[in-house]
Amino acid sequence: MQDVNEIKLETRDAVTIMDIKGDVTAFSEPFLNDAYQSASAQGAAKILLKFDSNAYINSGGIAVLIQVLAQTRKNDQVIGITGISEHFKKIFHMVGITKFAQIYDSLNDALAKMA
Amino acid sequence: MSASSDQQKIEITLPNRLGYERIAMASAESYAKMLGLAPERIEDLKTIVAEAAINAMQHGNKQRPDAWVKVSMTVTDKEIVITVMDQGEGFSAFLPDPDIDRIVNEQDPPVGFGTFLIRQLADQVKIDKTADGASIVQMTIKL
Repeated sequence: MQDVNEIKLETRDAVTIMDIKGDVTAFSEPFLNDAYQSASAQGAAKILLKFDSNAYINSGGIAVLIQVLAQTRKNDQVIGITGISEHFKKIFHMVGITKFAQIYDSLNDALAKMA
Repeated sequence: MSASSDQQKIEITLPNRLGYERIAMASAESYAKMLGLAPERIEDLKTIVAEAAINAMQHGNKQRPDAWVKVSMTVTDKEIVITVMDQGEGFSAFLPDPDIDRIVNEQDPPVGFGTFLIRQLADQVKIDKTADGASIVQMTIKL
């Protein structure tokens, strides 16, 4: 039972949106890394991770996301998050992800504040 | 899955494969809804069940494909008690809390989030061992 993520890249108002379809687990690592590398190769300075509102994100997925955060920090990129449920907002805050990535309530809110 | 109506106990045996924790999560969600647990606590319950099952698969059973993980849930008038048992060599303690600053700076590996979340979200957590060395993680969520 391996997860497969479809991740579309779209740039709007100087923000590169990584639109992540599906659950985020340890199996997401190659998909997220590939999408992140593609975004960076396109010169993305501001990256917004957009999740499905009903996505299941487990500890393996959190580890993968934090590895992406580490790369954005190295590459001096701004990163935001949107689309996650209230539960995962709480989880991301507990884990400390919000120290490195702002969480936005909606895509429009993210674009308005990140652009 | 089996249930005893007098004890309201649920037991699920999962294959030792990542992803199957979702079966236990779905059962926990249904069980908690029947018991009238608040929606935000149902989400907490799903997370601790999933993370304890993942921990059992990876660290207890060392990812052995022929092993299983048993998840049971019982209820009292005050709490839901969730027990997750592996078949492995067992572990005596959870990993220390992850330090995200050190992880982002690549000074620590990105591990320990599952057990951290269990400790944060459950009202009580206990780790025990069976006579043959398997681990039992018992977690409670207050009603």
